[in-house]
Amino acid sequence: MEPIIELNEVHKSYGEKAVLKGINLSINAGQVIGYIGPNGAGKSTTVKILCGLISDYEGTVTVAGINLKEDPVSVKRKIGYVPELAELYDVLTPVEFLGLMAELYDIPKPIATDRIEKMLTAFDLASNMNNRMDTFSKGMKQKVLITSGLLHNPDIIILDEPLSGLDANSVIIVKDLISKLAKDGKTIFYCSHMMDVVEKVSDRIILINEGQVIADGSFAELQAQQGNESLEKIFAHLTATSSLGEAANDLMKAFD
Amino acid sequence: MFINNFFLYILLLPKSVYQNMGVNTHHLKAILTAKLIMDDRRPNSVHQTQKKKNAKPIKWATLGTMLMSTFLGLFFIISFFITKDTVTQFFLFFTFFIFLLASTLISDFTNVLIDIRDNAIILPKPINDKTFLLARLLHIVIHVSKLVLPMTMPSLITVGIIHGTKGVIFLIFLVPPATLFTIFLINALYIFILKVTTPEKFKSIISYFQIAFAILIYGSYQIVPRLINKSALANYQFPQTALSLFVPPFWFAGGWEFLYHMNTSLVLIIAFIFSLAMPALSIWIVIKYFAPSFNQKLAMISGSDASESVNPTNVISASNQKPFAESIANLFTKKGAERMGFLHAWYITSRSRDFKMRVYPAIGYLLVYMVIMILQSRKGALEELQNQTLSGKLIFLGGIYFISFVIISALTQIKYSDKYKASTIFYTSPISIPGHIISGAVKATIIKFYMPLAITVSLLGVTLVGIKILPNLLLGMSNQLCICFLIAYVSFVEMPFSRTESITVKTGSFIRGIISMIIPLGMATLHFLIYDYQVAILLLLALSSTAVWLVAGSVYNKTWSDLKVGYQD
Repeated sequence: MEPIIELNEVHKSYGEKAVLKGINLSINAGQVIGYIGPNGAGKSTTVKILCGLISDYEGTVTVAGINLKEDPVSVKRKIGYVPELAELYDVLTPVEFLGLMAELYDIPKPIATDRIEKMLTAFDLASNMNNRMDTFSKGMKQKVLITSGLLHNPDIIILDEPLSGLDANSVIIVKDLISKLAKDGKTIFYCSHMMDVVEKVSDRIILINEGQVIADGSFAELQAQQGNESLEKIFAHLTATSSLGEAANDLMKAFD
Repeated sequence: MFINNFFLYILLLPKSVYQNMGVNTHHLKAILTAKLIMDDRRPNSVHQTQKKKNAKPIKWATLGTMLMSTFLGLFFIISFFITKDTVTQFFLFFTFFIFLLASTLISDFTNVLIDIRDNAIILPKPINDKTFLLARLLHIVIHVSKLVLPMTMPSLITVGIIHGTKGVIFLIFLVPPATLFTIFLINALYIFILKVTTPEKFKSIISYFQIAFAILIYGSYQIVPRLINKSALANYQFPQTALSLFVPPFWFAGGWEFLYHMNTSLVLIIAFIFSLAMPALSIWIVIKYFAPSFNQKLAMISGSDASESVNPTNVISASNQKPFAESIANLFTKKGAERMGFLHAWYITSRSRDFKMRVYPAIGYLLVYMVIMILQSRKGALEELQNQTLSGKLIFLGGIYFISFVIISALTQIKYSDKYKASTIFYTSPISIPGHIISGAVKATIIKFYMPLAITVSLLGVTLVGIKILPNLLLGMSNQLCICFLIAYVSFVEMPFSRTESITVKTGSFIRGIISMIIPLGMATLHFLIYDYQVAILLLLALSSTAVWLVAGSVYNKTWSDLKVGYQD
């Protein structure tokens, strides 16, 4: 089976600082990938490359058989992206904002209108769909962003901390949605610091540290390699520069 | 909205040309429509220094911008009446035009050029680069047109009346190159700012331009008409020499003169050539040399790259403030909560861009007022002050008491913050008397915003009038301090930086506002009435000093039950 996403020797530097040092990934369709790593590991840079936000990288990125550098527009058509920060034009209403997104993905207006209404209603935003978003809470904005990422029914969904700011019920909806989308054959690239969620929703977990992949496999495989631990402990074991227990002890010592 | 639809319709007319260039016109229209809706709901350069005074969302900002531009444009008409020489008339017109358009664009352009959200929202979508670039370009064209058309309209009508249709046509012909040249100036200024400073500081510098713009507009309308009455501009002629070619407005003025009167003087011919060639050359420079580094720099402002790198200079500059602020705090506050309140207010007022945007214009208006007072005196302000004539006394008292409005503005603003939720520190820490914190914040504001102005006025007063002015000076300063603490006592019903301006305090806010205005006016009037009675001055000085001590004490001892607004969630 041909991988839907393939990264070969991807390097990226900001000035002198190398952020990605030769990333190689091969992802099959229908997988839920948990893409994790500490702050500054290169997760966001990988995501930005995949979404076409960064084009001056070295190496090859192929999405659904299309070389990203050669035809970024076709690649973008296949991807739905939910960014980490609630970045949206918040002086617009959800209907206006999602209307713009629908136009950019060339979704016919009747379909877009129907879809926007249904999705916003499912997210309990029906009564706010014509209100300006600058008065919305972070969670409400996040729901609009998730809707915008899924509106065109993409094959690949990139979620960067999608649960940020969501209430408990919405978290359940999104987690459930991820499972259903995966069952529907969608490929999900899920970046998060919430290890318990990554552990539960991912078919495969890729751990990146200092610009390199340092672990790759299903949760069971990682457990087999690292001992029968939770993902949180495996993560700490592989990425922490010093003992986290010691750090906590040092903090307690500050009160002595 | 009709205006937006009109611009959109006009600019999308060459649809087939765009399509041949590889632009997706559906995407183009969708992006522009959204951008224009956003423009309508975004504060413009006027709103920037006044924003949040009411919590109503902004609508019809386009109409507001156009009306304001028309208002500015009315100002240009003066050019055609203060002198008889047409080159000088048009030189003045193009000077005003370039200067005011540049000032407006500096403050408004950031929103058009640097919408950082485009990177996260539009760029990951399947639109091609050409569509995105053309959308940005057309958005700029629409934005500039909304300013230029109403700004030039009053002058076009005036020129039509004075010089007929031919004069209007030549002016219409020269306005676009003048606009292009102005855009080049803005671009060059942006590049310069980005070169000498960090991208993080860029927006702060632009904020200062916005403040300067607000003061400039206020100052121009107050001062220029007064200057014109006295000037000998009527017979002035701008020199038509080779040196004049170094002054850009002369190119366009000379160009109009050449076209209208067919004046074939060599300087005018060169000016006409420059009026077309220089804007073309400048735009070529922008595209060829500025654009690549400009886009890179803009990406640094908007991208994550900038935030990933820590700027050590910021860290140093922040820590350098500490010893000075702490020394001042040690001098004027008691240890503990008051000192903490002082330092907290000192640092936030130094670093909050929003606070500066709302308070600094008031300082500028004070300077404008001083200039007006000087211009209004018949013999000359210095002489009036020295002789302590009626006008001299008014200038002196005006100078002292007008400072009240600066300090009232600053004292009002230290209640508010965009990060108002951070005020949890006041409500969760064991503060028994909140007045200590408020007193610290009030003292920090007085020392920072009142003392420098008071010292300046005092030095000027003593230098010009001599020590005989000291009793009045001291009374004025004591009254000022009294006003500050009275206003703090009356109007501070919450902790510092603990409210958004959208949360209104219904109980007595109007009355408090009125009192804040009446107190300084009342004190100034009383002071004026007893100005020459030394005994009364000294007596009132003693009373005023006692009042300062008592009211400052009352602020210091404000209890939780005195506060009407608790933590805002």
